[in-house]
Amino acid sequence: MNETSSIVALPLVESDEERAIRDAVRTCALRYGHDRFIDAARRGESPTELWDSLAAGGYLGVNIPEAYGGGGLGLRELCMVSEELAAAGCPLLLLLVSPAIAGTILTRHGSPIQRERWLPGIGAGTSKIVFAITEADAGSNTHRIATTARRDGEDWVLNGAKTFISGVNEADAVLVVARSGASAPGAPGQLSLFLVDAGAPGLQRTVIPTALDAPELQFTLFFDNVRVPGDRLVGAEGDGLRIGFDGLNPERLIAASICTGTGRYALERACTYARERQVWSAPIGSHQGIAHPLAEAKMALELARHTMQRAAALHDAGLPAGEACNMAKFAAAEAGMKCVDQAIQTHGGNGIALEYGLTSLWWTVRLMAIAPVSREMILNYVAEHSLGLPRSY
Amino acid sequence: MKIVVCVKQVPDTWAEKKLDASKTLDRVSVDNILNEMDEFALEEALQMIAAHSGTVTVLSMGPDSATEAIRKALSMGADGAIHIVDDALKGSCAAVTSLVLAKALERIGDYDLVISGSEASDARTSVVPAMLAERLGIPQVTFVNKVEVDPAAKTLKANRITDDGYQVVEASLPAMISAVEKMNEPRYPSFKGIMAAKKKPVETLSIADLGLEADAVGLSGSWTKVNDSADRPPRSAGTIVEDEGNGGAALVDFLASKKFV
Repeated sequence: MNETSSIVALPLVESDEERAIRDAVRTCALRYGHDRFIDAARRGESPTELWDSLAAGGYLGVNIPEAYGGGGLGLRELCMVSEELAAAGCPLLLLLVSPAIAGTILTRHGSPIQRERWLPGIGAGTSKIVFAITEADAGSNTHRIATTARRDGEDWVLNGAKTFISGVNEADAVLVVARSGASAPGAPGQLSLFLVDAGAPGLQRTVIPTALDAPELQFTLFFDNVRVPGDRLVGAEGDGLRIGFDGLNPERLIAASICTGTGRYALERACTYARERQVWSAPIGSHQGIAHPLAEAKMALELARHTMQRAAALHDAGLPAGEACNMAKFAAAEAGMKCVDQAIQTHGGNGIALEYGLTSLWWTVRLMAIAPVSREMILNYVAEHSLGLPRSY
Repeated sequence: MKIVVCVKQVPDTWAEKKLDASKTLDRVSVDNILNEMDEFALEEALQMIAAHSGTVTVLSMGPDSATEAIRKALSMGADGAIHIVDDALKGSCAAVTSLVLAKALERIGDYDLVISGSEASDARTSVVPAMLAERLGIPQVTFVNKVEVDPAAKTLKANRITDDGYQVVEASLPAMISAVEKMNEPRYPSFKGIMAAKKKPVETLSIADLGLEADAVGLSGSWTKVNDSADRPPRSAGTIVEDEGNGGAALVDFLASKKFV
C-alpha cells in the first residue's frame, strides 16, 4: 500500500473509458432532461426513469467493489457520473448519500454479511441508503449528538431525533449515528452506527419544506423506541465517529461534483445566451462587463475541478484526504454559486424566469455552502489543521 | 445470425463543417462522433442478435481517429470491429467508399445482413448503402424504419419509408438495409460495456489487405470531384406579417407564395 500510495498520480488527461463514461451519463441525463427533472421535483415525484436507466447502465455503483457487482473503481469515477448528471441539469443528491457515504462505509467497515446484504443493491441502484447524523441541537458539533442507542438483549433500541436528513422518501434504510455509550453528551468515542430500515416501527418522519427544487426531500426523523437487530450495528460499538468520518470525505467529494457540474450547466447556458442575445449592435457576450465575470467563473470552476480530482485521487489511494476534500467542497461550492449567479445576471430578467432553468438549480449550489459541512467550519478546519492556528471554538 | 454494421465517424452534428486545402472535409479541427444514424443501425442489429443470437461486427472506413467511433459501437455491444485505415483513402467519394466496404465484406464472408445508417450527417449522399448492395449483389432495402428477420427462412420483412408513406418489402438474406432515424432508441453504452470495449478485437486493414491499389481509391480514384465551394449565405431577414385584422389571410398568402400550402 505504501509503495503504491507514494506514487499516487493525478492524470491530467482522462482516459478513453473515462470520456466514454462521461458521454454515456450525459446522453442518459440529457435524454431525460432538466425540465422533466425539475417538473418531477416540484410535483414531489422521483426521477425514477432517470435513476433506473443509470442503474441499468451500471453507473450508480461505479465505486462499489466488483465482488459485489459494482464497477470496482473509486470516487474519481463516481464524481464523474455525478458531475455529468449535474452538468446536464439533473443533479442527484442521492448519489451523495447512497453509493458515496453508505457504499464507502459498508465497503470498509460492514461485516461480510452486511456487505453481502447491502452492497449489491447499492451498486445496482435497487437499494438506497441515506445517512442520518445531523441533529437540531448538535449542528456541526457531532459530539453533542443526543440520539441514543440502548442495548436490549440481542437488539438495540434507538430514541431521539435527526434533522435535515436527505432522501428518506426514497430510502430503504437509514445509516444512523447514535450515542451508544452511557456517558454524558460531549464525551468522545461513544457513538455507534446502525442500519435502520426506513419503515421500522417507531421511526417517524416529517418533511421540512425547503426552497430546493430537488427530488430528494429533507426530513426530520423521530426515533421512538425503534428496535434494531444486533446485526445492524456497523463496525465496532463506540467506533461510530471514526467510521462515519470515512463516509464524510466521499460526501464532500460528491457535493463538490454536484457544484462543478451545475457550474458547467450554468456557464453553458450563460454563454449560449450571451452569444445570441443582442439589444444594441453586438451580442452581449462581446461586452467585457458580461464576458469577464463569465471568464472568472470559468477559472474558478476549473480550479475547483482540479482540487476535487486531486482530493478524489487521495481518497481512492487510501491516503489522508480530509484537508483536500474540505478544500474541494469549499472551492466547488463557491465556484458553483459564482457560475449560477453570473448566469442569472447574464440573462437579465430572463435569469429569474423559470423557463430559462437557472433558478431551479440555485438553491442546490447554495445548499452546498452550508451542507454537508459549512463554509465556516471548513475555514476553521483549514485555519487550525493546515495553518496551525489556535482553535477558535 | 452474422450481422455487419457499417459505421462512420463524422464531425459533431452541430459543429461548423469546413473543407480543408484538398477540398475534403476537415475532420481534424472538430469534435468527431459516431454518425447518429448509424447508432439506429447498430441498435437494430443488437436487438436482432438478442432475439435470434449471433454476432455483430462493426465495419468502418476512416482515419486513425475513427477508432473512437468504433470503440463507442463496441461499448454499445458489438462483438468486434474491422477498421479500414489507409492514408490513400482520404477524399474517397461514395462510389469508392462502397467499393472499399464491398471488398471488406467479401473478406468477412457468410454474413446474413448488412445494416448501415441511411445517411451520414457530413456528406449526406444516402447512396452508399445502395451502391454497396449493388456491388455485393444482394437485395437492398433502404430507408427502413421497421424490420423483422426470420433467420431460419433466411428472409426479412421491412417497412421502407417513402415520400407518401411506407412500402412493405420482403427480401431474402443476405441483404442490405439502411436505417432511418427513430427506428428505435439507441442504447447508451453501459459502464461494463465501456470497460469491455477495449478488450474486444479490432482488426485493422489497409487497402493492400483488400487487394486495392492506391490510385483506385481516395481523391485519385473518385468518380466525383469537388471543384469549388462556398459558405452558406447568411439567413436573410424574414417577412413580417402585421396583423391588421387580415393576419390569417396574409399568412396563407405568404405560405402559398412559398408553395407550402
